[in-house]
Amino acid sequence: MTRILLRDKLDNCVARWRKAGLTVIGPVKKETFSSYAAVENAAELDLSMIMPDRSIKGLFFPQTEPMLHYTIKKQALDIKDFTPPPEKRIIFGARPCDASGMAIDDPLFGWDYKDNFWFQRRNETVIVTIACTKADDFCMCTSLKLAPDSTKGSDVMLRPLQNNRGWLVEELTDRGRDAFNEIADLLQDGSEPEASIAVVPEKFDLDACVTWLQKTENFESTFWKEISMRCIGCASCTFLCPTCHCFDFQDEGDTYSGIRRKNWDSCSFALFTMHTSGHNPRATQSARWRQRIMHKFNYFPGKFNVNSCSGCGRCSRQCPVDMGITETLQAISTLQP
Amino acid sequence: MTENIQTAQQNIYKPAIMKIVARHDEAPGVRTMKLEFQNPAEHELFKQNYRTGMFGLYGVYGEGESTFCVASPETRNEYIEFTFRQSGRVTTALANSDIGDLITFRGPYGNRFPIEKFYGKNLIFVSGGIALPPTRSVIWSCLDQREKFGKITIVYGARTVADLVYKHELEEWERRDDIDLVLTVDPGGESPDWKHRVGFVPTVLEQAAPSPDNCIAVICGPPIMIKFTLISLKKLGFDESNVYTTLENRMKCGVGKCGRCNVGSIYVCKEGPVFTAAEVSKMPQADL
Repeated sequence: MTRILLRDKLDNCVARWRKAGLTVIGPVKKETFSSYAAVENAAELDLSMIMPDRSIKGLFFPQTEPMLHYTIKKQALDIKDFTPPPEKRIIFGARPCDASGMAIDDPLFGWDYKDNFWFQRRNETVIVTIACTKADDFCMCTSLKLAPDSTKGSDVMLRPLQNNRGWLVEELTDRGRDAFNEIADLLQDGSEPEASIAVVPEKFDLDACVTWLQKTENFESTFWKEISMRCIGCASCTFLCPTCHCFDFQDEGDTYSGIRRKNWDSCSFALFTMHTSGHNPRATQSARWRQRIMHKFNYFPGKFNVNSCSGCGRCSRQCPVDMGITETLQAISTLQP
Repeated sequence: MTENIQTAQQNIYKPAIMKIVARHDEAPGVRTMKLEFQNPAEHELFKQNYRTGMFGLYGVYGEGESTFCVASPETRNEYIEFTFRQSGRVTTALANSDIGDLITFRGPYGNRFPIEKFYGKNLIFVSGGIALPPTRSVIWSCLDQREKFGKITIVYGARTVADLVYKHELEEWERRDDIDLVLTVDPGGESPDWKHRVGFVPTVLEQAAPSPDNCIAVICGPPIMIKFTLISLKKLGFDESNVYTTLENRMKCGVGKCGRCNVGSIYVCKEGPVFTAAEVSKMPQADL
């Protein structure tokens, strides 16, 4: 028997979750876009948008966060761990591509050395994903072998019903089941006709692209220079990307006390790889764009067996110079392998 | 994975506190510091796990962390020595630190030189400028068990006589009759009383002409020196799998997360920094 969550019960659900101590986060309408933000009631949620401006990455791996506190007194140095304050959260209305992105990065933050800043938040957060009924020209999940209703990375998948009546509930993990047990009496058994899922046409042949990328001689291809000529190295694409995970450490403070922060960084920046000597392994923007594409579709899958891209399309959608992964991979698909 | 101080705690980015117990000026702007652990448990973990070739992140609070190799050998793990050139924010703060000051250390990270595979073989060390510290860690690790190795040759060069580091140890190596030491400085870098060679390291290496038979080469230097030294070693008949080097890429996390040490699919911090020339030649050369 399947269970249904009717839209008019959603306000009760939000209230119930909040009462149970969960912070409820969802897409909230800002001026011309929506952003994931904490909400107090269901009316604040903008569930009709195509895609919030940023991914949910920042909820697990904030743009900046303290790692350590230090104090220095005379000849004593004291280092205190910073642990994110425990916060149980439920993200209601995540996009499937955003949820997938978190699952993609789990192995990276977990291989050998476990980054508990990431995993504490992963464990404390329930991701309730709503399958997409709308898509725009930039959406490309299907090209990445995902779909507008992929369950990857989600704790609960909601499939929209016709006429905007509500959602079919598919609980996928224990975390998800726990959160929905909290509101069990607000759900109803039965089934209703589902709304049709968005159609996202395939934009490129991923396998053909990967074959091209894996060919050693293509590393030096002039293709990279041509395709990245427009890139201004602003790093918007990496910051908006659900899976880009590169970071930097910076100390803030003085000789006596301060904090060490972990900040988002980007392979688009020239300083990212610059040696002290002045030697820079990736000295040109084309080398840096090549690294980004190679990392996502050749190196990362080689290590973790998954592409470091979930097809949200934000890199193209919000690029100030109209380039992005889609354009690059589309261009690669047309090249001889 | 190397077990270390950070794997044993919740926050993998939290460093150990170290006290500076000695410092020594090597060359203009280049200094060696000797550090001691303050926490015995952390020291014990270091002793169990440190092997020559590994690196660490050395930090000054309020300034940040920088990556350097551990320049002391695995045979002397009561302390950590590291050598740095003052050039940026962290190294300036390190240069301003005095004996008795507390700094931080994360590590040891990365892989190692498999010196047990070198037993019974002749060794040639080729090094340039401030790249002697990583080589020196291997050199002393071998010299401290000298009987296990065949002939040991060290080729070391710097831009000028003043830029040679570990001058006191170079003198010691020169006096020893179980080491062949070949010193050189770049043309124009010699002083009036310079008695050694003048010329670039790869050229001098070719003149020294070590036999590739039963020989392991360990090379470390700036990218340009490595490039030409590899060509010279090839000319001399060395097999790429018998040539070891260590890559010194920029790093922040040291644990395969922050992304900047990537060369191709390799995370230098985790899969390196020690590679054979055969492994390096498979990497995308333009990204080195």
